[in-house]
Amino acid sequence: MKRLSIVLLAAVLLLAGASLFAAPKEVIILWAQWSPADYLQQIGSMYEKETGIKVKVVQEPWGSFGDRFFTAMAAKGTEWDMVVGDSQWLGQGATGGIYVDLTDFLKSTGIADSVTKATLTYYGEYPTGSGRYWAYPTEGDADGWAYRKDLFEDPKEKAAFKAKYGYELAVPKTYKQLLDIAKFFTRKDKGLYGVAIYTQKDYDAITMGVENTMFSWGAKWQNEKNEVLGVVNSKKAIEALQFYRDLYEAAQVPGLSNAFYTETNDAMIGGKAVMVMNYFAFFPALANKGTNPNYWDKVGFFPNPAGPYGNQHAALGGQGMSIIKFISADRQQAAKDFIKWFAQEKVQTRWAELGGYTCNAKVLKSDAFLKATPFNPAFATTMTFVMDFWNIPVYSQLLQVTQREFSKFVVEGQGTAKAAMDTIAKEHDKILREAGFIKK
Amino acid sequence: MPAMKAHPNAPGAGLADRSGRHLSDRAIQNLFIWPTLTLLIAMNLFPLLYSLFLGFTDYSAIANKPPVWVLFRNFGDILASEQLWKYFATTGRYAIMSVGLQTVIGFGLAMLVRRKFFGSGLITTLILVPMMISPVVVGLFWKLMYNPTFGFFNYLLGFTNAAKAPDLLASRFAGQLVPGLALFAVVIVDVWMWSPFVMLLVLSGLNAIPEYLYEAAAIDRASAWFQFWRITLPQVAPLLLIAVLFRTIEAFKSFDLVMGMTGGGPGDQTELIAVNLYRQAFLGSFRTGPSSALAYIILIIIIAVSNLYIRYLNQIRGEA
Amino acid sequence: MARFSEHGPRAPVTEAIRVDKVNPRARALRRFIALIAVVVAVAMLIPVLVMGITAFKTRTDILASPPKVLFKPTLEGFVYLLFDRAIATQSRLAELEQNAKAGKLGLLDRIALQAGMEITGPSDYVFRLRNSVIITGISTVFSVLLGLFAAYAFSRFKIPGKGDLLFFILSTRMLPAVVVTIPLFLMYRQLGLYDRHLGMILLYIAFNLSFSVWLLKGFIDEIPKEYEEAALVDGYTRLQAFFRVVLPQAATGIAATTVFCLIFAWNEYAFALMLTSERARTAPPSIATMLGSGGLEWSAIAAGSLGFLIPVVIVTFALRKYLLRGITFGAIRG
Repeated sequence: MKRLSIVLLAAVLLLAGASLFAAPKEVIILWAQWSPADYLQQIGSMYEKETGIKVKVVQEPWGSFGDRFFTAMAAKGTEWDMVVGDSQWLGQGATGGIYVDLTDFLKSTGIADSVTKATLTYYGEYPTGSGRYWAYPTEGDADGWAYRKDLFEDPKEKAAFKAKYGYELAVPKTYKQLLDIAKFFTRKDKGLYGVAIYTQKDYDAITMGVENTMFSWGAKWQNEKNEVLGVVNSKKAIEALQFYRDLYEAAQVPGLSNAFYTETNDAMIGGKAVMVMNYFAFFPALANKGTNPNYWDKVGFFPNPAGPYGNQHAALGGQGMSIIKFISADRQQAAKDFIKWFAQEKVQTRWAELGGYTCNAKVLKSDAFLKATPFNPAFATTMTFVMDFWNIPVYSQLLQVTQREFSKFVVEGQGTAKAAMDTIAKEHDKILREAGFIKK
Repeated sequence: MPAMKAHPNAPGAGLADRSGRHLSDRAIQNLFIWPTLTLLIAMNLFPLLYSLFLGFTDYSAIANKPPVWVLFRNFGDILASEQLWKYFATTGRYAIMSVGLQTVIGFGLAMLVRRKFFGSGLITTLILVPMMISPVVVGLFWKLMYNPTFGFFNYLLGFTNAAKAPDLLASRFAGQLVPGLALFAVVIVDVWMWSPFVMLLVLSGLNAIPEYLYEAAAIDRASAWFQFWRITLPQVAPLLLIAVLFRTIEAFKSFDLVMGMTGGGPGDQTELIAVNLYRQAFLGSFRTGPSSALAYIILIIIIAVSNLYIRYLNQIRGEA
Repeated sequence: MARFSEHGPRAPVTEAIRVDKVNPRARALRRFIALIAVVVAVAMLIPVLVMGITAFKTRTDILASPPKVLFKPTLEGFVYLLFDRAIATQSRLAELEQNAKAGKLGLLDRIALQAGMEITGPSDYVFRLRNSVIITGISTVFSVLLGLFAAYAFSRFKIPGKGDLLFFILSTRMLPAVVVTIPLFLMYRQLGLYDRHLGMILLYIAFNLSFSVWLLKGFIDEIPKEYEEAALVDGYTRLQAFFRVVLPQAATGIAATTVFCLIFAWNEYAFALMLTSERARTAPPSIATMLGSGGLEWSAIAAGSLGFLIPVVIVTFALRKYLLRGITFGAIRG
């Protein structure tokens, strides 16, 4: 008995001693459950080889990623060191005291200059234009289009198209061309349709879809003073919304009344749609022989076309890496060390090679990047003209209004574009005033 | 029922000595009830009260600010909101259609399998399978099945041309808008999933009806309808009502299924009140105060409806 | 009426010997009804069958239009379910294909390669399945037991405020889970129950109790009090009467309640998602959201759901004798 207690005592002392010497040996990052998170885990293994510090990427399914994160933060949770959060969360993260202010860190280490200006603004800055940064742009993303190259290059199709529309069948540079091509390829009895565009009502898909036309028409969500009346429901915005609906009515694959990235990709994989709208993050599946066996080598990609007034923009996606404020100081330092290492050009190059969409300006311009995949060129172009939805803390309320109205007009076919936009403008105005974003 | 032999320790016929070795009725009462009550109070009281408290504030779980009293403003906003009344109406329609159909079909299924035949155990288990699948998965798969292009629903009904087929979740038939079709599609899935629930409860009740009642009635030349109305239904009524009560409560809370299939769309056609509640409480909004207020309003409605059922249940029990 | 006496029928009247059911026409009708039951069962199972075959289809087959009933089966879905995988880049794909030709790849790796992916390690599925079994099993046992005791007490004794207490028990189920989540989350963090098996078990017991008490009370109410009173007169204690008289006759109710509590706890999604993280997470949150690259992995979801379904079916099938039991009483009933 006495020997046993001595052994136990020794074991306890040993363990206690070991824990005293422990510095953060692990960095835990929370992200959504998808391939880029897997790539980040691989990058993490690289970090472990170099520094001995383990990196663990915890993946939460997209549908519950936001809810879980914010619920945990409501209780000041410390189970994760960093989160790769949506660009729209910046407002909440910053004002809610969840994210660590990274302005000095990013500027002093030069990281702020290593990424493109647009990405730093959209994935890191809050409030917009203030010069304060809360995240390191990690995964750039935006809406783009995939199309059936084989159909576009088929001589018979080209001849028929030229005969009907008077110009060559080619990758559409304007939305008008896109509509023509979509109508041309919509052949209901053959089961082929022009487009598969976003229509999902759950969270933000249909708003992102409409944004692509809105932004390319030159319309905006707000002016410099955050005012919305007359801005959101401007003539151009109404036209853009009407166009989205016309496109949906004329050429959308049936059954895609609640479509997001899964459904639009499935439409391409199943050979039902000729042009498919999706985030670049999901295009690797279309170019892969295993996941798209029938069309992987017949798919091309193009950036969001321009509108009738010469504007060309695309809806922004993507995430930035932020440090959670509730963790201890040395864990915060370990997290900063990781970001500093991650932001190096050689690591970002590897990140891009694996499939992560880097925001590093040099890598984006490099030949290696542009030649790596068939969609990288379109991506690089798109990242120069991306625009975002609101990223203020009340963005979700604004989003719910647009989701409801867009779904009602585009999918259900109720009301008019003008009525929908007017309702949105009115309700946005109310929400913004209540939250104090519009000064009287 | 076999007569019970007198207990060996009994001091002859008569009441057993209840004090001392044996637990008194009072003790049993307490022993049986208190664990349940304690657990329920411990797990539920704090959330219930805290939610109620939050309903009177404008709290947001992720903002850095402490809750601020707004008294009845949240409740006022909700009751004055036309949108929310529309969602309540949609939920009401959904509950009536869904619970109604479940009851009828469930009862019918129970009548079908009540008599033992070869394999009736297996058949009953198989009919219960829809209820055993996770609601989220059911929603996802029915969405796949309802798809007019590659779903089995249209295919099995014979609609092979997608352009001329119903697109239930988009409320369209051959391209024409048919309002309310999406809600009905969701009802179909709900009924498919939960009729077995009603079936099982009704079945348990049916199997308890003594056969000689039917025999006596048949000998007296009572019609099948009479047998059903006067014997079957009254015997099964208590269990049937419990089933309907719980299904109605769940219909008002119904969320997983709809979210998976339509997300509340097209437009607002399938935006049930619980779906909207989720939107306000989570999905980036985290308007914890107003959503708690909404939840309490939903709770009050459920309490009112449940009271009706329970009163009716007690009435029936009183007669039987 | 010779079969009846003042003590009830000498032999229990079953449907088989019921006077009005012994003729050939009634027998034929019975067989016909059995046939309809089979047809209905099959019809209701069609969606489940669809889900079943989806588990064995490739992605393109799932998306085929018109839907394929005959197809070449693959184990892709199960591989996705049980293993983590990543899309193989072009160079890696070529490398893997070379290995495959040289016979150096195992069966599972080859299946993944067919879909353009490579396996990077086992997924969490089996671990989560284990959590599901533990949490569901323990919570179901306790919900039924506690519910049974409470139901008996409420049914047989005059308890002050019975109606109110019963309503309170019912009301614990009325608040939508969404709203209770955040307070529960805060409470659990404080109590250290977050992401612990005990936390989930307690929660499921509490949630199932409302249904368990009400349902079992419904069944026990149907059992005539006279039997227990007879036993008490014969010298049994209340407790013994409970175990020997009431329990056997409530077997159907207990079986039904067990099945329902089991199904609910097994498939519970919302609380499992919010209140667990790594240690105590059950299977439902992960099955429904199996994200492949670029979209939902329908085959993995189908495979996971199918596998997840089977234990519940087995338990229900094992209990079927009790679920369908007929209880016939004598003339005392009524």
